Amino acid sequence: MKARSISDTSLSAGTIKARCIVEPSRRITGEILFTSQPIAFLQGVDPEIGMVSDKKHELYGKAFSGKILVFPNAVGSSVGAYVIYRLAKNHVGPKAMINQNSDIITASGCAISRIPLFDLPDSDIGGLREMKRVELLKTGTIRSLEGNEK
Amino acid sequence: MYLTKSEEKAVSGEHGRALELAYRVLLAIGRLSNAEKLIPIKWAHVSGVSYLTIGDYGLDFLRGISKEKNAKFRVFTTVNPCGMDIENWDCLDIPADYAEKQLRIINAYEKLGIASSFTCIPFESYKVPVRGTHVSWAESSAAIYANSILDLRTNRESAVSALASALTGKTVYSELHIDENRKPTIAIKVNLGRVFKGSLDFGILGYFAGKRTKGVVQFRGIPSTNSIDESKALCAALGTVGSTGMFTVGNSSNLETIDFSKKDYEEIFDNISDSETGEAVVFGCPQMTIEELYRLSKAVRGKKFKRKCIVFCSSKIYELAKSRGYAEAIEHSGAVFVRDSCADFTPLISSLNVDSVTTDSVKGAHYMKSVHGVKVALKNVESIVEENTS
Repeated sequence: MKARSISDTSLSAGTIKARCIVEPSRRITGEILFTSQPIAFLQGVDPEIGMVSDKKHELYGKAFSGKILVFPNAVGSSVGAYVIYRLAKNHVGPKAMINQNSDIITASGCAISRIPLFDLPDSDIGGLREMKRVELLKTGTIRSLEGNEK
Repeated sequence: MYLTKSEEKAVSGEHGRALELAYRVLLAIGRLSNAEKLIPIKWAHVSGVSYLTIGDYGLDFLRGISKEKNAKFRVFTTVNPCGMDIENWDCLDIPADYAEKQLRIINAYEKLGIASSFTCIPFESYKVPVRGTHVSWAESSAAIYANSILDLRTNRESAVSALASALTGKTVYSELHIDENRKPTIAIKVNLGRVFKGSLDFGILGYFAGKRTKGVVQFRGIPSTNSIDESKALCAALGTVGSTGMFTVGNSSNLETIDFSKKDYEEIFDNISDSETGEAVVFGCPQMTIEELYRLSKAVRGKKFKRKCIVFCSSKIYELAKSRGYAEAIEHSGAVFVRDSCADFTPLISSLNVDSVTTDSVKGAHYMKSVHGVKVALKNVESIVEENTS
């Protein structure tokens, strides 16, 4: 893998340079669904309805569908990759995912489900909490749309 | 990550959907670890076979993949134990709908091309390649064994990444595939003030090391001539609670060293072993080797188990044990073999309807407690036979 540039990591300009783990086939726009809590896909997500099923999780009851799901990383069983696949197959999965430091569960799950996945090893995902809508480019750029999207 | 022309074509789907997905998995994992390239492997060992672990989600994916054109395993591929004895499931209280789904998973793997045995100790039944060979093994205990005892090169793969390796014949060149990452970074010095011996001792040590260290760990003060069984127990416990994929045995200086004392041993033992006795006996986590079956057959000769005793091993080892007369001796004692299956991830332990089991396995104790909710009496093999037979 080529060394990545972090020089253009800049929240103030409304863009973040991410590392691209599963690249989108085209530009993606969507609303951010943010959590600072890790997600356990195997026991913490209901792939039939597409939301977190763990009542103690801050995303409990919020649908993934159509959203760009931002969370630090996955935890728990590696079978979680198959749960991500099931989400996509049921058409209730997120449009894309962004992690702080991605992991083998999320990476392999997104890869088999064709869900674009970025991670941000060099900047805080907390910066995404404030962005309501973003676009993701194939190059790994995340840009805030700040409600200007038509 | 650098991809060859042919790999690039595969990623873009030119070689069929199965290869496309497999290469996409390797590419994603390669990017995670900033790997420079993919390398060929000689052997894939795939986990995610028991219906109890992968459920309908995994079944669905595997069936889909197995039906794709061009979908076949391109290297020698072994698979982990499944969730029941395939030949004998209806005698063991396995629900019929569970069995049907388990058989579908097995059919999908067989269609892709797997070795006949369902085993977590593939090195016991199949010819091990020369030292330094790159392989791709899921099942943490087997991967640690491969790196530490067999001097093969593998990372601790997941069910999906090992499947991708089986389909492509490749893995990501990262971590433990690279020589400089295979050196110990921390040491554990064993000093119990007594002889350190047997699978239980090695299991407790593995648990301690897994909890206390990260990265390649060096053990000091353990016999350099461990049996397969002792090494297997160490690897299994280390993989259960730790993140490392490798250990060494030696005495190199300049390493931060942690002592493993009698007190540490007893603390872990008391923490895991929460019952004085068990209502049933479980042997074989990881599955039993031929040597273990030999010793068990000697130990139980002329004796009868007073409680249910279940012995887990692969069908291949069972056949070997049968040809040598060990299996008959063990069965004569009242113990029941469950082949190609796993003590931890089958409905069997739950369906025994007991509140406690006795075992010599630290890994088995960990999972039987968490998956099946039983209490565990941890004992060495000699005491188990002594206390549970007449």
